[in-house]
Amino acid sequence: LAGPPSPGGQDPHGWRGAVDCVRANELCAAEPGCSSRYRTLRQCLAGRDRNTMLANKECQAALEVLQESPLYDCRCKRGMKKELQCLQIYWSIHLGLAEGEEFYEASPYEPATSRLSDIFRLASIFSGMEPAATSKSNHCLDAAKACNLNDNCKRLRSGYISTCSRELSAAERCSRRKCHKALRQFFDRVPGEYTYRLLFCSCRDQACAERRRQTIVPSCSYEDKEKPNCLDLRSTCRADHLCRSRLADFHTNCQASFHKALSSPAVPPLILLPSPSPHPGAGFDMTPNYVDASTTSITISPNAIQAFGNGTDVNLSP
Amino acid sequence: AAFGLYFPRKEYSENVYIDQPAGTPLLHIHALKDSHGEVAHFHLCQNLVISRARSHENHWFQIREKTGLLHLSKSLDREDFNMLSVGNLMQLSKVMLYVFLSPHPFQEKECDSATRTTVFLSLINASAPVCSSLTARQLCFTEMDLSFHIKENKPPGTFHQLQLPSVHHLCQNLSISYKLLAAEGLPFRYNENTTGVSVTQRLDREERERYELITKCTVRDGFREMQVEVPFLVNVLDEDDSPPFLPNGTDTADAVVEFNRKEGTVLATLTVYDADTTPIYPLESSRKKYTGIIITDDPWISETFRVEHVFDEIHFSPNGSQVRGTRHEYKLVLNKSISVTDHRSFQLDVLVNDTEFHGPERSVMLHFNVSILPVSIQFPNMTYQFSVNRNAERFAQIGKICIENCMKFRGVNITYKLLSPNISCYPVSILQGREDKYGSLYVNDSSVLSRPECKEIQYTIQATDKQSRKHAKTLLTIVLEGTLLKKEEDCPDSCAQSKHHAECEECGGLGVLTGRCQWRQGSGKGITTNYSTCTPSIKTCPDGICDVVESKEPSVCPQDCTSGNIIGGHGKGTGNLGIKSGHGICYCFPKQNCYCEKDDIKEQLCDDMCKTVI
Repeated sequence: LAGPPSPGGQDPHGWRGAVDCVRANELCAAEPGCSSRYRTLRQCLAGRDRNTMLANKECQAALEVLQESPLYDCRCKRGMKKELQCLQIYWSIHLGLAEGEEFYEASPYEPATSRLSDIFRLASIFSGMEPAATSKSNHCLDAAKACNLNDNCKRLRSGYISTCSRELSAAERCSRRKCHKALRQFFDRVPGEYTYRLLFCSCRDQACAERRRQTIVPSCSYEDKEKPNCLDLRSTCRADHLCRSRLADFHTNCQASFHKALSSPAVPPLILLPSPSPHPGAGFDMTPNYVDASTTSITISPNAIQAFGNGTDVNLSP
Repeated sequence: AAFGLYFPRKEYSENVYIDQPAGTPLLHIHALKDSHGEVAHFHLCQNLVISRARSHENHWFQIREKTGLLHLSKSLDREDFNMLSVGNLMQLSKVMLYVFLSPHPFQEKECDSATRTTVFLSLINASAPVCSSLTARQLCFTEMDLSFHIKENKPPGTFHQLQLPSVHHLCQNLSISYKLLAAEGLPFRYNENTTGVSVTQRLDREERERYELITKCTVRDGFREMQVEVPFLVNVLDEDDSPPFLPNGTDTADAVVEFNRKEGTVLATLTVYDADTTPIYPLESSRKKYTGIIITDDPWISETFRVEHVFDEIHFSPNGSQVRGTRHEYKLVLNKSISVTDHRSFQLDVLVNDTEFHGPERSVMLHFNVSILPVSIQFPNMTYQFSVNRNAERFAQIGKICIENCMKFRGVNITYKLLSPNISCYPVSILQGREDKYGSLYVNDSSVLSRPECKEIQYTIQATDKQSRKHAKTLLTIVLEGTLLKKEEDCPDSCAQSKHHAECEECGGLGVLTGRCQWRQGSGKGITTNYSTCTPSIKTCPDGICDVVESKEPSVCPQDCTSGNIIGGHGKGTGNLGIKSGHGICYCFPKQNCYCEKDDIKEQLCDDMCKTVI
């Protein structure tokens, strides 16, 4: 069976993937018709309530016209320059289109088309792992060592660790906001071969699993005095463009698909990797983490991690 | 809210293949009733949703208005597929259809009815599979879990059909039969002729909110027989059909305001239980659902108190199965700080209302017996007397001044002041931190201590409450004692600069009480809070708190207050101030770095050999 169709724009009126939203915004600004409609739409959305917006004829007309513009199909790249600006433009259109009740949103990021590069990335990670691991080997410790030997990784890692473990006062353990920011920088700017290894190292004993759980300094970035309700957290996340985008990207890439028979066997483990960071929510209100130091219980999709941790051979079907 | 008919599932899913003939049945959709005599009418919206905001007119799918059978009215060819796959970012092309429900025949194609369910159709880029290639699991069940929700207190009805219409249509020569296991004694029945599963009686969530059954499917193909079992889950949805009640009938609580008079103080809490569940999201609407209002026409009471409502989920077991209920807590909270002179007692009533319960007992009254006691600003029945060594240095901490119960006070701002004596001897001052309830007495002018004419100094201390201007006075006697020691030459200002036990105790420094610094010998085990260091007074430094006197002058106790670099193995203190833990001996150069290191230079001890020489 063939693999899934690549979303790369083979179709003329399909996905014009090459245009990012910052560029699309420039193109739109050059056309008086488009730019005035876009301004109208942004004013419509400023009220923040989609239903009132769509009740307005002018707003609806603006939305319809913009669906033909390059803005409609624009996407953003992970870690691009002006990423936040790009996402703002994306959501300024898509908030109007969004079904408010929709549980999953499509990702504003370009789909990872270059699966090959991910395979190379994986291969580079496995080559760094010792073959036939002895029972004494601790992958998580090795990952930390590898990070410390790379200037960039070391700098950003010690950066977030010191930020996240700085005690402010007896009442306030740390500045969660700054900690999240530092974590975001680490996962955005350090190549996956270091960050994935730290996060998804496979463990055989408690000490290793505890080290893995401690990777993101959970006492500051993850734990709270009381566990908030997940829907509450989700709506907080959706109010923030960046968090919303990463969550949508995580959902888009990590949704369990039952059509394993219909997708090439390489897809399930790999599809997870192109998410903007190996830790889709790290550094946001929705920070996922390992719930405990058990060696098997994993909060993020387990099959991805297992494929990652033991260096499963990846078959590429053409 | 009028519920009316509803769907027992939020979503349905099915696969559609290329060139499946028109008339192929896809799936069966059921609706459940809100009241007897309702008749369900199904209909589709005109558009297929391809991706957000990209939709296409529906030419291919139809639903039978009475039976809810969704079927193909026109086959999808490759061109249709390509068109519908555009703009689909998912790995697999999926289109969505909304199915609407109405108690009357549809007049026009209205697409805004709130009661709708979503059908996800996966467009599979291949022709329909042959029966022999399908596994038993695929022949019997779709990928979606068999999980349903049924509202409590509603009439019975059929809510699912186990047989897959598409498979049944495709594989007519296979015999596929189902069974519902673990259903004995449960209000569900399986009808073999229609393969329908129905609920046989009204459910009560407060009795049981989850039913876990098993569906067993048997496929017979000539001589082969295959069996698959999948879980079949039913969740019972709650409606507000229980009134609030009080645990053990407790509706009264005492609320006493005495030393703690700060805004935000919780004075008392009363609990109300409800067997219904209360959704925590969105929080505000749940708070509106359950209200607690202070009943009073006294403006002072409504200004001074507020009621805070928190609720959480509790579990109770009516007959062996665990059911969730709600515990509401109503806290009586001070809305503003109360003056120390206020003195009142009264009963404060709070009306709790379960707004969605339709019955006579929808509200309960809670009573708080509030007593606001005045507190007096007074010193204990004695005068303060502190002795100060004549060799004490500036910033030496002599003692603490505190009115009666001062450590229990909250929301009362007391300031301490020394009323200056009429003599020229004037060595001490008082300081108070921003949140401190006491005053710290310290040496402000050490030159006075060496003057022989100053021996006993009498001060008056005044404590004032900011808000009420009430104040109290007491006497303080400072007795100077000890003989003046000769000052060591070339000693540093700060005790913390000394690295060794011997040099530490030879010198004085800012903040010392008796003219000499004190050495703290640590345990010497790795990085520890008990590190070795030289300090003006072991009692106050290092104690992990940069107190108000220490923070006035960085040389007094950098171990608690430094914000500079610490070189060596260490852990920083709260707010990045001070050395919380260190390795070996920690010493500091004021306004510069601190160092923590193991001491390698063992101090020379005079052994027997050397003694003989001497």
